[in-house]
Amino acid sequence: MAERPSRRIVKELWQSGPGKAGLILLALLAVTSLVVIVSYPRNFGTGYWANPGYWADNPKSAPPAWTNALTREKRPRHLVIDIDEPAVSESTGRAFRRVYSEKSVFDADFPPTFVSFSVSNLQYSRRPPVLTVFLIRPDGGEVTLARRVASGPRQGEEVPYVRYADEPLRESVGADDRVLDSLSRIHGVDRQSMSASLEAALFGISTDEGGFGMLRGEYTLQLEALFQDEDDSLGSVRFVLGGSVYGVMGTDALGRDLALGLLYGLPVALLIGVATSTVSTLLGMFLGMTSGYSGGWIDLSIQRAADIVANIPVLPLLIFLVFIGGSKLWLILLVLVAFSWPGLTIMVRTMVLQLKTGLEVESAKALGASSFRIVFRHILPHAASYVLAQLVFFAPSAILAEAGLSFLGLGDPSIPTWGQILEYGFRTGAVFLGYWWWVVPPGLFIVLTAVTFMFLALGLEPVVDPRLRGRRSWHF
Amino acid sequence: MQVVKRLLVKGLTMLAVLLIVQFLVVITLGATGYSDRMLEAVISEELRAIRPSLAETIRDPERLEEALTARRDELVALYGLDRAWHTRLPGMVFRVFTLDLGEAHTLRSSSGSNRVADIVGERIPKSMLLLTTSMIVTAAIGLAIGARLSSRAGTVLDRVVSSFSAVSYALPTWWVGILLILFFSFRLGILPSGGMYSAPPPDGSFLRFLDLLYHALLPVFTLVLAGIGPYIYVVRTISVNIAQADHVTVARAKGLSDSLVSRRHILRVAAPPIVTGLVMGFAGTLGGSILVETVFNWQGMGRLYYEAIAGTPDEMVIVALTFVYTLIYVVARMILEVLYVLLDPRVRYG
Repeated sequence: MAERPSRRIVKELWQSGPGKAGLILLALLAVTSLVVIVSYPRNFGTGYWANPGYWADNPKSAPPAWTNALTREKRPRHLVIDIDEPAVSESTGRAFRRVYSEKSVFDADFPPTFVSFSVSNLQYSRRPPVLTVFLIRPDGGEVTLARRVASGPRQGEEVPYVRYADEPLRESVGADDRVLDSLSRIHGVDRQSMSASLEAALFGISTDEGGFGMLRGEYTLQLEALFQDEDDSLGSVRFVLGGSVYGVMGTDALGRDLALGLLYGLPVALLIGVATSTVSTLLGMFLGMTSGYSGGWIDLSIQRAADIVANIPVLPLLIFLVFIGGSKLWLILLVLVAFSWPGLTIMVRTMVLQLKTGLEVESAKALGASSFRIVFRHILPHAASYVLAQLVFFAPSAILAEAGLSFLGLGDPSIPTWGQILEYGFRTGAVFLGYWWWVVPPGLFIVLTAVTFMFLALGLEPVVDPRLRGRRSWHF
Repeated sequence: MQVVKRLLVKGLTMLAVLLIVQFLVVITLGATGYSDRMLEAVISEELRAIRPSLAETIRDPERLEEALTARRDELVALYGLDRAWHTRLPGMVFRVFTLDLGEAHTLRSSSGSNRVADIVGERIPKSMLLLTTSMIVTAAIGLAIGARLSSRAGTVLDRVVSSFSAVSYALPTWWVGILLILFFSFRLGILPSGGMYSAPPPDGSFLRFLDLLYHALLPVFTLVLAGIGPYIYVVRTISVNIAQADHVTVARAKGLSDSLVSRRHILRVAAPPIVTGLVMGFAGTLGGSILVETVFNWQGMGRLYYEAIAGTPDEMVIVALTFVYTLIYVVARMILEVLYVLLDPRVRYG
């Protein structure tokens, strides 16, 4: 053998159309997975994805931002404004006034879905500061959105008093008296007509028909803090104008950025596919070798066991075991491995039986080679390409099985997967409300990953045996 | 003799499958303490039921408690709760076999019964309807297209269908169902998004049947779409191989028509391996139907899985479903096995 078999196989794969496509796709998926693994926080599943508070500022069930290009009317983008430094910092004689403000152009055909602000890391030493939030409209109208006073010192608390350090003060602007008063001054209409469409009133001008038309232009969002002492401070201020479109992939009903969840699903899916197929292939190969080489009652019992396991309908049992044992990813993988070895075992055994009586093994035996050496040097290399094909073949089944199980609500809650995103979408009715951006992409990702392995398997066909195709016991 | 032996071996394997699944289920239930909790629930239920009648005869509250405790001990001994869980295994297996699994927590059958056997029992025909319909449609269409393709092997159409069959391995059946709902039900609004009947269902049995058919269209289509690719491929590949055999050349030389050659000389010979192909796909269809029922709210056993997992978990319903699905699978495999023997004369005379 002049060439290493692994290089020969890659070369042959590269020469076939599907093989080349599979290799390119696999490289692409692997690189993306690496980027995700490196850049995502360790506790993404539990600390971020499963934590609704983290996504509170995002619009709920919003389609991707690029869908604006497809519609005539422009829906507002999601706007988050973070301000760390005050624009104005001055002494008014009795207090220190700091103003945090930011200008933003609003040009959509619909009002923002909500307006909210948050404040974090407030520090004061004597009297709690007064915070006032304003919206200054392009027409000069000024609306007081909220006025808040931080809580006073507690019994025994030491100076400086720190507020909103762990949990920022986060508030949505609601239709309270102060807001409605300033709005009715601007629009000259009574308060009743505005409380129902507060955002439209904030960002619009009243029309003759009684509704509001959008007022495009530059708006200023402003927070004014009045401190008692010069050392009192405010960490950061955030304004959010809730959009009705969001990001590259949109959001789900909790406001979670689907792009983040979908990307995170990639390394997980690859892990599921590769881990399950590797372990089950090794197991299948080992059992097949043992069965074929040892013969006798060992052979018989392995073959009977393979016959029975191959005939067990996997999904019902998988549902049962994961339901009782708890939704853990390792358990799902373990059960998949436990049911996926028989096909390969039967095949490897047949090959071993043929090779065992062949000239090569006979000569090796004559030269005094140990059984171990015969199996590894004279039998295994011949079976290698079959085993490789099987390895590639198992992977999509495992990915699809996990996705199906997650869809039934048995996915591991600490590790978000595409199946779980689909499950949440299905359970909350996204399918029936037509939220395609939520239910189509996860499936496409599943298909893309599975197709990658299918392409590789197709590319391996000339290397191995065309009859391999269709030998799969489970597929949902 | 050959036939009997073959069927016997298969039958024993299938019986072993059924038994092993049963033991796996009850061992898991026992080892995790589920079976203890289940029996305790049954006992408290019975005690609650006899309490009022006992209270009428025994006035003294202390004596009443004593009598109840005595009764409780009797029941504990009866159900074997005082023994280790593994000594109760055969009993549990029997209970699972007879679906004597007590009462569900929250799920009810359509008549309001909370017995697990009733809840699961009424769902079996609904699942079977979906499963058999899609199997038959898949087999019929797969045969027709596969046979036709085999005479066009190598053409563009052949290659397109072959690659579709490969890609369809990578399609999650249930997600295809979701896509179909989005398109036909949400976008076009021409087909129902789920359920088995309109609300309210139409009067008259014929109209009701049509309504059922209308609701079955999408789920059946989904299952067929997911299962047909590999099946077409199997039929095509086997037929292509047989078409090159000598007896087919002879038949053609005799001047027999193409359709006759295809039916009598190719498909007839191809029939046994095609049945094997159907067998291979059956486990997938079964699993697929569980998820497709869930997506389309088809009130069968698959949807029941989803309902038993979501909300208050109903573990005994899941045990019953796992058993019934295994049973259905085993029975179907035996039927296909008999079909194979009937179709393949070599088995009979070998």
